[in-house]
Amino acid sequence: MSEPVIEIAGLRKTFRDFWLRPVAEAVRGVDLTVERGDVFGLLGPNGSGKSTTIKMVLGLLAPSGGKIRLFGLPPRARAARARLGYLPELSYLHPFLTARETLRYYAGLSSLGRRDAKARTEELLARVGLSSVADRAVGGFSKGMARRVALAAALVSNPELLILDEPTSGLDPIGTRDVKELIRALAKDGVTVLMTSHLLADTEDVCTKIAILSQGRVAACGRTTDLLTRTQDARFTVEGLAETEARALADELARRYGKPVSFDHPSVPLEKFFAETVRAARG
Amino acid sequence: MVESFLLAWRALLRGHVLTALLALTALAHLLLPAVVRSDGTADGGREVFLRAVPGSVYTVLCVALLACACGLVARARESHRLALSVVRPVSAGALMFGPLLALVAVAAVVLAFNAGLTCARGGWTDCRHVYAPVLEPPETAAQRMLKDILANPDTPKEVRSAPRHRLLSILVGREVDRYESILPGKSLAWEFPAAAADVPTGVVARIRFSTQFNMRASLSGQVAFGPWSASVSNNTQSVLEIPLAAAQGRRDRPAAEAPKLDFRNTGRSTVMLRPRRDVEVLTPADSFGMNLLRATGEMLCVIAFLCAFGLFLSTALSRPVAIFAALVFLVVTEMAPAVLEQYPETLDLPFTDRMGLWLSRGVAFATSAVSGPQPISDLATGTCVEWSALGHAALVDAVVAPCVLLTLAAYLVRRRAAASRG
Repeated sequence: MSEPVIEIAGLRKTFRDFWLRPVAEAVRGVDLTVERGDVFGLLGPNGSGKSTTIKMVLGLLAPSGGKIRLFGLPPRARAARARLGYLPELSYLHPFLTARETLRYYAGLSSLGRRDAKARTEELLARVGLSSVADRAVGGFSKGMARRVALAAALVSNPELLILDEPTSGLDPIGTRDVKELIRALAKDGVTVLMTSHLLADTEDVCTKIAILSQGRVAACGRTTDLLTRTQDARFTVEGLAETEARALADELARRYGKPVSFDHPSVPLEKFFAETVRAARG
Repeated sequence: MVESFLLAWRALLRGHVLTALLALTALAHLLLPAVVRSDGTADGGREVFLRAVPGSVYTVLCVALLACACGLVARARESHRLALSVVRPVSAGALMFGPLLALVAVAAVVLAFNAGLTCARGGWTDCRHVYAPVLEPPETAAQRMLKDILANPDTPKEVRSAPRHRLLSILVGREVDRYESILPGKSLAWEFPAAAADVPTGVVARIRFSTQFNMRASLSGQVAFGPWSASVSNNTQSVLEIPLAAAQGRRDRPAAEAPKLDFRNTGRSTVMLRPRRDVEVLTPADSFGMNLLRATGEMLCVIAFLCAFGLFLSTALSRPVAIFAALVFLVVTEMAPAVLEQYPETLDLPFTDRMGLWLSRGVAFATSAVSGPQPISDLATGTCVEWSALGHAALVDAVVAPCVLLTLAAYLVRRRAAASRG
């Protein structure tokens, strides 16, 4: 088995005031392992320690205790930083730069050669659908467009590990769907993704593993399907079944197994319905 | 480093900082000459123009770029943009040196524009080397004086019991301001560096005479320096520039002998002067244009130091606090030497005043990189900005000090990149 991409053991973070008195214990002994190719969702209510954990993984904060390894290296090691991409919760772009200059800037910081940086910039601009506005200052972009630029900036170094903080924040449903498809495509290409999101439906759609943090501790962790599937229950979908036939079938199953049986009519996810409606309206 | 340079350069360019500074420079050259008044002489007019116009541009540039430097990193950190750069495989040092180069590039463009407009005005005179007498260091003289004082049995007990370093500090101040008296009919001579006499012509002696009670009195005398001499007849308390001409009967000094400036008092009253402050020999140097070039280089070095200091502050402090601290730094930089000049140390100084003096001394030492070079003053007085002074400024202000400050800043920038708590 290959080495884990992220290995966190006994991670703790206590914020202290000027006199070094503890003010808040944000993370209290987190253990996590993210394997290559995982799309790992870090969930939790506000103040549960998600952002602090992410900042420690990125090397922006020093842990008070415990160990973090990225590709077997400390988070602040340049070799580790060379292999990761980061999308923060808000896009934080330099408003006076154009989209193309923004990507070139981050490509340059990621040690890409001039020619590679140029090619990668153009490829990503096309991938996030911003080629036509590449020479406009990002300060004038909508929130969604800025988000796409930030996502492209996170991808510019061809990272092996992508850390996404609320990746769909500020995007419309179509943008959200595009980002989710992009995450799936990246995972398919072997990119490991660690993401946080408050939108549980989005997390459920794309994450292969999740961890739920509460009060600085891991409350639950595992494969998404394992955690969410209720194996003791069963649900059937029968196409073209009328209401009366469905009710009769439910009664029959209840009589036969002596257990309560319920049924409902499947609905199309709103995201899919929205996308189809908009596509139809555009002709 | 190229990326962080380009980023900061674009920020300064697209934030209209460069445009505003160029416009201010043009306005200063257009409007200030009509506002400031000189003493009516050509020399006075030139001096007033140089102090008022390029001097104002230099001051505004220092303050503006210091404020920009204080804002660059602090703003990036507060807006979380710094974290996005820090997580890339780039050294924090590269993130700090790029902005410094961009700020220096802006300063270079504005100073070049300023120098171009100044040169275009025309009517400038060549600059001159300024030589001071070759005297033993004041500290050595102070040591000798202290030895004599302590050996004297009449020395008061409170002087004997005073700390040695305080006595030395007082005596150094006394030595710097020590007057020498020249009685009527007598002469006094001071040695000068050999280079001062290695010119064919155009040597000038600059002397300021005093009397015992600092009153204006008439003086007359004969000044001689190497093969040149001149008569002087004027008043005390004025700075006299005495052009020396080849004198008949005076021979060239032997090569091994240091040239001496000799003053013979032919007047009726005793005159005094401070050899460390009041006697100088001026010799022709090169054109005003070359001097302006060197002075511009010196200004650029000082600005490089200030920008590095601003960047350092901006990594450690929030933007308004960094700007406030930087402006306080500028003020104390200008004040400390004046405090030391105005308040010499004495034995009966109260403790609080003594602490103030020590603090001023510390500040003056720490800020000597900024307060030391006086490019505008040198330009205005026609003093040659020596290549050695420019080299010293380049080494200390533009290389060593920024490297130290930005290394510290690079250490801080990683620690403080995540400005807000998660």
